[in-house]
Amino acid sequence: MKSQNERRRTFLCISIPILLLFFGFNTLPLIKGFIYSFTNFRGYGSYDWVGWRNYVDLFTDSRVGNSYWFTFKLAIVATILINVVSLIMALALNAKIKFKSFFRGVYFIPNILGALVVGYIFSYIFTYILPAITHAASMLADRNWAWVAIVIVCAWQSVAMSTLIYISGLQTVPEDVYEAASLDGATGWKLFRHITFPLIMPFVTINTVLCMKNSLMVFDQIMALTKGGPAQSTESISFLIYNNGMNGGQFGFQSANAVIFFIVIVVISVLQLKFLNKREEQL
Amino acid sequence: MAGLSLQHIWKKYPNGYVAVKDFNLEIADKEFIIFVGPSGCGKSTTLRMVAGLEDISEGTLKIGDRVVNDVESKDRDIAMVFQNYALYPHMTIYDNMAFALKLKNTPKDEIDKAVREAARILELEKVLDRRPSQLSGGQRQRVAMGRAIVRNPQVFLMDEPLSNLDAKLRVQMRAEIAKLHDRLGATIIYVTHDQTEAMTLGTRIVVMKDGIMQQVDSPTNLYNKPNNLFVAGFIGSPQMNFFEADFDGANLVASGVKFEIPAEKASVLKEKGYTGKKVVAGVRPENVYDSSKEALCKLTAPFSAKVTVFELLGSEVQLYFDFAGASMSAKVGQDSRAAVGDTVSFAFDEDKIHVFDKETEQAIVH
Ligand SMILES: Nc1ncnc2c1ncn2[C@@H]1O[C@H](COP(=O)(O)OP(=O)(O)O)[C@@H](O)[C@H]1O
Ligand SMILES: [Mg+2]
Repeated sequence: MKSQNERRRTFLCISIPILLLFFGFNTLPLIKGFIYSFTNFRGYGSYDWVGWRNYVDLFTDSRVGNSYWFTFKLAIVATILINVVSLIMALALNAKIKFKSFFRGVYFIPNILGALVVGYIFSYIFTYILPAITHAASMLADRNWAWVAIVIVCAWQSVAMSTLIYISGLQTVPEDVYEAASLDGATGWKLFRHITFPLIMPFVTINTVLCMKNSLMVFDQIMALTKGGPAQSTESISFLIYNNGMNGGQFGFQSANAVIFFIVIVVISVLQLKFLNKREEQL
Repeated sequence: MAGLSLQHIWKKYPNGYVAVKDFNLEIADKEFIIFVGPSGCGKSTTLRMVAGLEDISEGTLKIGDRVVNDVESKDRDIAMVFQNYALYPHMTIYDNMAFALKLKNTPKDEIDKAVREAARILELEKVLDRRPSQLSGGQRQRVAMGRAIVRNPQVFLMDEPLSNLDAKLRVQMRAEIAKLHDRLGATIIYVTHDQTEAMTLGTRIVVMKDGIMQQVDSPTNLYNKPNNLFVAGFIGSPQMNFFEADFDGANLVASGVKFEIPAEKASVLKEKGYTGKKVVAGVRPENVYDSSKEALCKLTAPFSAKVTVFELLGSEVQLYFDFAGASMSAKVGQDSRAAVGDTVSFAFDEDKIHVFDKETEQAIVH
C-alpha cells in the first residue's frame, strides 16, 4: 500500500508541473486563439463578437487563398524533392564506401543549423553570389522564381533528417534477403523496386508525413529570405498568420485562419498515414 | 544439372583472416555432398563462394565446364537455402516462390505450374496467399526450399537449413530433403555443423576444421577409418575415447595394461617405426565392453575403472569412467547393473582400436 502511495506521489510530482506548463503555454493560447477567432480583435484595444464572420471571410480573401496555393505548392514539391534526394543519399551512404561515417556526419550538419541561419546564408548566396555568376537578377526578386528558392532552402535543410531516417530504414532490411534476391536475379534497379523500396515503405510513410507537415508550416526560411515577397508571392500560411495577425491588425481574422490551418494539417496527416499505411506491406 | 569443381580455392577476408585454405573438391552431377565441421571452420564461406556472394581470393571454381569465378550470382544458375530462410517478408508465399521466374520474364502459366508443383511437393498449397510472418518455422523452411526448387537450378546450396527447427521437425525435414534429392536428381551442397545430420544425409561428406579440409569420404569410411584425431573425435556420438599408449612391438600399453592388437596392425606400426614410442589409441564407446558379459568379438585384456557417471539412453546405457588419465565412456546393454562409484571391469574390441600418431595426429592403422 505504502509503495503504491509513494509511486502515486512521484507520478503527481512529475506530471503536475508539466501539465501546468503545457496548459499555460499551449492549451490556453490555443483556446484563447479559438475564442479570438470569433471577434474582430486587432491585437489591441476593444473588440466585438462577430460570430462566424471571420470564417466566412477566409474563403473569399484572395490573400489567404494565395497563401494556401503557395504553401501547398511548396509543400508538395519540397516533399517529393526531399524524399527522392534523401533516399538516393541514403542508398549511397549505406553502400560499402570509404569514410562512410565521415560523410554521414557531414551531410547531417544542415540539420543542426537553425532554419534562420540557413535562410540568411542562402539569402546571401541568392542575392550576391548567384547573380554574380549567372549575371541574372536574384531569384528572390523574381515573383515567378522566389518560391523555387524557398523550396531549395527547405529541401537542403530537411534532406539531412530524412536521409538519416532512410539510412536506419535501409539497415532494417536483413542482408540475407538482399543476397537471396540477388541469387534470384534481382540486381540494381530491380532489387530496389522489388525488395528495398517495399521493405522500407514504413520509413517512406514517416518521411512523407513529417516533410509534408514541416513544409506546410514553413516560416523561418521565408522570414530570412523574402518576408513573403516579392508581391506576396511567397507568403506562406504561417507567415501570413504571423504577419497580418501581429502587425496587420487582423488578430481575430488570422486566429480563424490558424484554426482552419490547424484542422487542415491534422486532416492531411491522418489521411496520409491512412493511405500510406495501406500501401505499407504487412511485415 | 551439373557437377562442380573447386580447385585450390582460398578465401582471405579483407581484414586478413584466411577462412578457407586450399580447398579441392570434385562434385559429381546429382551428388548430395555435405560440408560438416565445427562453427567457424569456413563451411559457409566456401558455400558463399560457390554462390558468388563472396569473392574467391585464389583458385578456380567450375560449374559444369564453365569457370564461374567472375560470373555474377544470378548467372551461375544456382539456388540457395539460407539458414534464416531469407524470405521476402512483403510478398506472399506464392510470390516468394515465383519471384525469380518473374524476373526472368517466364510466361505466367509456366510460373503458375512451377509454383503449384513445388507447393504440392512441399505441402504448401494451403498457405500460398499468406505472408512469411503468418507461417510456422517449419513452413517457412519449406517455402525457402520451394523457392529454390521452382527455379530448377543446376546446383542447390543449403546453409544449415534445418538449424532453426526443433529436434522433431528437424528429423522429419531431414528425411524430406533426402527424398527431395532422389526426386529432383539434383546436385546439392549441404552445410551443417551437426555430424548426425551429415552422416544420415550425405553420400559423401567433407569434414572441415579451421578452413582446411580434413577428410572427404563416405559416412561409413569417416566412421570406420577417420584420417586423423579431429575427424575421429568429430564424427560419431558419443565421442570416440582417446588415451595415450606405448607401443612395445606387439601390444599397446597404457596404465600398466597390455592391450593386444591384431598382428597385421602391429606389423604396420612396427614397419613405420613406432616401436617403443608413444601413440594415441582411439576406441568408440560402442566398442568398449563390460568384460564380465558375453561379447561376440575378440576382447582385449580387461581393466578396472570406477564409474563416474551413469546415463540411461533408452535402449542403452552410457557409463563414464577415468582411465589412463583420460575421461572415457562405454555404451553397454540396458541390463547393466553398474552404478556410480562401482568398479567395473572393461575391455576393448581388439579389432576396433584405432591408432594415431601423437605428433601429427594422423591415423596410422584402423
Ligand atoms: N566478412 C568476414 N570478415 C572477416 N572474417 C569473416 C567474415 N565472415 C566470416 N569470417 C570468419 O571466417 C571464419 C569462417 O566463417 P564461416 O564460413 O561463416 O564459418 P562456418 O563454418 O561456421 O559457416 C570464421 O572464423 C569467421 O569469423
Ligand atoms: Mg555458417
